[in-house]
Amino acid sequence: MATRRSHVPLSLVVGGNPRATSDGDLARGLAAGESWAIAETWHRFAPMVLALAERALGSRSEADDLGQEVLYCAFRKIKTLREPDSMRSFVYSIAVRALKSELRRKRLRGWLTFHPPETLVDLTSRTMDMESRDLLRKCQTLLDRLSPRDRLVFILRRMESMTVEEIAAAMDLSLSTVKRSMAHASNRLLRWIAADPGLAGRLEAGRWER
Amino acid sequence: MTTGTTGTTTTTGTTTTTSGKPEDSRALAALTKLTRDSIERRTPEELDRGLDLLLARVDSTRSSTRRGLVRWSLVGVAAAVCTLVILQIASTSHKRLPALEPSALAYQIEGGSVLEGGYLRESGHAGIKLLFNEGSKFLFLSGTRGRLRSIDSKGARVAIEHGTASFQITQSADRRWLVEAGPFLVTVKGTVFTVSWDPSSERFELRLRHGRVVVSGPVSGGDIVLRAGQRLVVNLPRAETSIMEDQPEEAIGEPVGAPDSRAIPTSVVRPPVVRDKPAQSSPSVASVPSPVAKIEGERRWADDLAIGHWDRILEDVERTGVKAALDKASSEDLFALADAARYRRRVDLAREALLAERRRFPGSPRALDAVFLLGRVAESGEQGTTRAIAWYDEYLSRAPTGAYAAEALGRKMTLTSESNGSEEARPIAEEYLRRFPKGSYAGSARALHRAP
Repeated sequence: MATRRSHVPLSLVVGGNPRATSDGDLARGLAAGESWAIAETWHRFAPMVLALAERALGSRSEADDLGQEVLYCAFRKIKTLREPDSMRSFVYSIAVRALKSELRRKRLRGWLTFHPPETLVDLTSRTMDMESRDLLRKCQTLLDRLSPRDRLVFILRRMESMTVEEIAAAMDLSLSTVKRSMAHASNRLLRWIAADPGLAGRLEAGRWER
Repeated sequence: MTTGTTGTTTTTGTTTTTSGKPEDSRALAALTKLTRDSIERRTPEELDRGLDLLLARVDSTRSSTRRGLVRWSLVGVAAAVCTLVILQIASTSHKRLPALEPSALAYQIEGGSVLEGGYLRESGHAGIKLLFNEGSKFLFLSGTRGRLRSIDSKGARVAIEHGTASFQITQSADRRWLVEAGPFLVTVKGTVFTVSWDPSSERFELRLRHGRVVVSGPVSGGDIVLRAGQRLVVNLPRAETSIMEDQPEEAIGEPVGAPDSRAIPTSVVRPPVVRDKPAQSSPSVASVPSPVAKIEGERRWADDLAIGHWDRILEDVERTGVKAALDKASSEDLFALADAARYRRRVDLAREALLAERRRFPGSPRALDAVFLLGRVAESGEQGTTRAIAWYDEYLSRAPTGAYAAEALGRKMTLTSESNGSEEARPIAEEYLRRFPKGSYAGSARALHRAP
């Protein structure tokens, strides 16, 4: 018996508001390969991952690439997640590991190449003027000089407002190592800032905003 | 580094803390705030594009997983048969099964064919589409000549000999895609972009919609890394390299008849603008605003600048010609042009605009501002420190209480300190502190004042 196929495209019907879906349900949906779960995972976690990556790497496009890697990795490894309700921590820990590797790679590339490719400064910022972008570039240069571990600890503690315990868990470090790393990063940054009177003055004056 | 008791203000080099702990330094707090606040949230459109890429990658993985399952099933059956045969003949030798090849790259071509040597021949007038099994797509616009130079499991290399092609590359750490366009080579990871090459005018253009590419070729400063939303234009005869931000409305159009019009962008082909002879223009061309008319006030560059349309200003100048623009633009528009050129790092054009402002409107307040900005522009050039200081001196002598006086003195102090040392900069720092004790360079001035 011949069968006729409908030409009406299939559409996904999701019951209820996806935002109301718990992280646990989302993890289970992702593990089952549900398309809605992939989209919801992206919308729920990508902004967080992208912002963290951009702060840590200092580049929006590199953050985009890393965001793709992190969410793709989360999709591939979701079946290894034992506690679906801890999906946020799961994604965060993947992001932190990926960032650590990327920062190490960048540092290695910096050692191996005499002329690293020029990183273009984001000129589209709607909230910062030229002077502020110049100041930001200087700050990023200082952060680049930190070791990947110190830099990541500093970013997570100062910019993501994570506790020492949370950082230790996400980076698989002991509490004392996190504290030592934080102190080391702060001391080195302060020393470098102090060595540049112009930068110190502008930072302390806090006059970078329009 | 000295530290004091908690609750008192202490000094750490030239930075201060309120508790003695380095973590409490104001400078560190400021650095944190600046870096944290510099992040702009992704727009819903940017997030949607990211999701599209992720979904394409997931689909690609699923299909290759399915193919892998079928392959492994076949391999399993074959292995079982071999084992039985081996057991039956009681052979003691062991044969290794050949390892599976990594996922090969295959493609389907629409609208044309691949001839010997990889030459892409168009069969109709809708362009040529290459659809790869892992999700990547190429679209050669109608009339574009190109070649598929090589293809293997690690990626593909294509060449554009003439015309425009769009690419949507599925992100993969294992694959590398290369696009040649004349003397340029574009190295690609997961991204969406359009490349044009015109061998007659030797003009290269790349519009990057998403992701990141590295462009190598005869461009100044070595390889150029482009990020999403940027447009690189290289004009080889004029030795000009420009990187611009694409405005959303003009960034990328939709290819006619493309199966997935969101995924494969094409560049917008602009109509040629007839210059200087409006009377001879055809009705259709006459509807395009004349750039000369724009300079005379139809649309003011100052207005464009205010809404961030810097590239539109520079495009107007390109159409009109730099000399005509500099000779005819109003004082405000010249200043707007200088700003747009500075924002786009067109240092020479910025300098020309500021000099024109000074020459044509010597008595205007903008002419004074131009003197200060000439100093800023000079700082961008090589060995521009001396020239910049001279401009700042001129500004300070002509406008000692002008709007940029504090900034000019601060820059002069900084440049003097960098080029001649803190000893020579100290008197300038003292003057700065005397005149602008709460100015934005006061911190630096105090540091110089204290320096041994």
